[in-house]
Amino acid sequence: MMLRMRDRLRPAFILFIIIAALTPLIVGKPFWLDNSILIAVFSLMALSVGMSYGQAGILSVATAGFASVGAYATSIVTAHYGLSPLLGLLLAIILPMLLGYPMARAITRLSPMPLSIATLLLSMVLEIAIREGGDFTGGYIGLSGIPNLPFASSLEAMHVLSWSIVVVVIALYANLTHSAIGRAVKTARHDPLRATADGVDVPKILASYFALSAAVAGVAGWLYAHHLMYMGPDSLTIHVSIKTMLMTVIGGAQTFLGPVLGAAFLTMLTLYLPASEAQGMIFGATLVFVLLVTPRGILGTDWLKLLSRSKKRETPIADVTRTSERTA
Amino acid sequence: MSVDVHEVSVAFGGVTALNKVSLQLERGRILAVIGPNGSGKSTLFNSITGMVAAAGGKIAVDGVSIDNMAPNRRIALGLARTFQTPRFDPHITVEEAVLCGFYPVAKPGMLSSLLRSPGVAREEKSFSDRCSEILRELRLTKYRATKMGELPMGQVRLVEVARAVANNPKYILLDEPAAGLARDEQAMLSVEVRRLVEKGVGVLLVEHNFNLIRELAEHVIVLNRGAMLMSGRAEDIARDKAFIDVYLGSSGR
Repeated sequence: MMLRMRDRLRPAFILFIIIAALTPLIVGKPFWLDNSILIAVFSLMALSVGMSYGQAGILSVATAGFASVGAYATSIVTAHYGLSPLLGLLLAIILPMLLGYPMARAITRLSPMPLSIATLLLSMVLEIAIREGGDFTGGYIGLSGIPNLPFASSLEAMHVLSWSIVVVVIALYANLTHSAIGRAVKTARHDPLRATADGVDVPKILASYFALSAAVAGVAGWLYAHHLMYMGPDSLTIHVSIKTMLMTVIGGAQTFLGPVLGAAFLTMLTLYLPASEAQGMIFGATLVFVLLVTPRGILGTDWLKLLSRSKKRETPIADVTRTSERTA
Repeated sequence: MSVDVHEVSVAFGGVTALNKVSLQLERGRILAVIGPNGSGKSTLFNSITGMVAAAGGKIAVDGVSIDNMAPNRRIALGLARTFQTPRFDPHITVEEAVLCGFYPVAKPGMLSSLLRSPGVAREEKSFSDRCSEILRELRLTKYRATKMGELPMGQVRLVEVARAVANNPKYILLDEPAAGLARDEQAMLSVEVRRLVEKGVGVLLVEHNFNLIRELAEHVIVLNRGAMLMSGRAEDIARDKAFIDVYLGSSGR
């Protein structure tokens, strides 16, 4: 849709305002700054899920895998070789793309289920590679001594940097969504044959989009590594992937701010939940509740419409698009 | 300048859906394909656009063989099609649906789209303008912001046509575009088809409405059970006894 710049960049702007308003409240409070940075990192990972799942329809559990590729790449070049974290950032963007593109190219022809299993396998392979990587990856012990970012050495600076990256990613993501490529990806998710008739090379565009979402996860990993200054095999596991998936679905996978809201919500929930054993139960209950009430997520739902619909039930719109074309 | 289909056959398992069908679609002409249900009309469309693999035969667009081309590359050569059962996402607006049709003409890559380079912004603006023009021509302007799922079926078919027209095709394949249209909408559709023809677009039309065919098409091909039964001028076909038997049944005589 032809949107004016103001409308297109509204989500990024809203987030900027919110962060600008909250920042003075948490300056000088390490506990909150720390959590704010973690929420920003999870927001990026959730945005990556929003791109691959919400836009391209690829249900991937390799998000944390791609993030750990980014995290380990920067950890290795900075901690082992003493190189600039900016080189790490470059690698954290490029390596997940190089990994994600061929994988998606090979498997986007498959139906959604085998595709998810393939991403699961990829993350398991990555986890094994990290454990067995010896001194290079730190093995079971992990890598410590990852320097903090010279241009963001205080917690405050890290907070500003992390959220700036989230705002920029949302702005770029909105640009892409409101372009020919974004529309083609949306069509390809809904109906590949329709997209083909529009002239779209469906496997290629889905793979490119998936690679891009992997790069966003890689950037999240880069921030994560330089914030915590330690990376271990238990840092970014499949468990984290599933958690980010949950964040995205709860917030609204197809919206720009939904993943951020989901990330903030679940991270805060974790903070205030008493025992970690009970977390799974609460997460599960939240997911079931959200899927029952608002399958499109908190921000993906037209609440006014939902409320008016619950008064007078409308008949759902018939979905005629999946009918086979082979007849006649 | 034409689409040349030479003895194309398509088989689904043991069933021959299309048996050595040949046709030539010239630019600036309308060619109609008719036949009973299951006669292979949509299969013909699918084989030309590459959505089913042909078992034999040759297809060329402007002298370029497209037999081994992926569907999206065939579309990029200047083919466009509509579907008999319209395929659309019910959640998007009419405007978005038409904008999707511009994909083959869109040039920018991923990076410039991400950064919204001036080129991308210019192109989006030109797409939006052209979209308004197409919607105006098809009298769909008032539905611009309507969700596809809330649109009456007749208008959905018109949006399909609009989406196919968007990429400036040289040849357009319309699969029953007038089914379910009111009479005045049909008239408008035939005006639009004529306008395309005047611009030099070749139109391949599958239609059950023989009046519309008689009004539009100079040349008609009749398919029956996947094979070509006859071809000729619409008036001659309408009087042909064999055609009436196949198409209308013997009681139509």
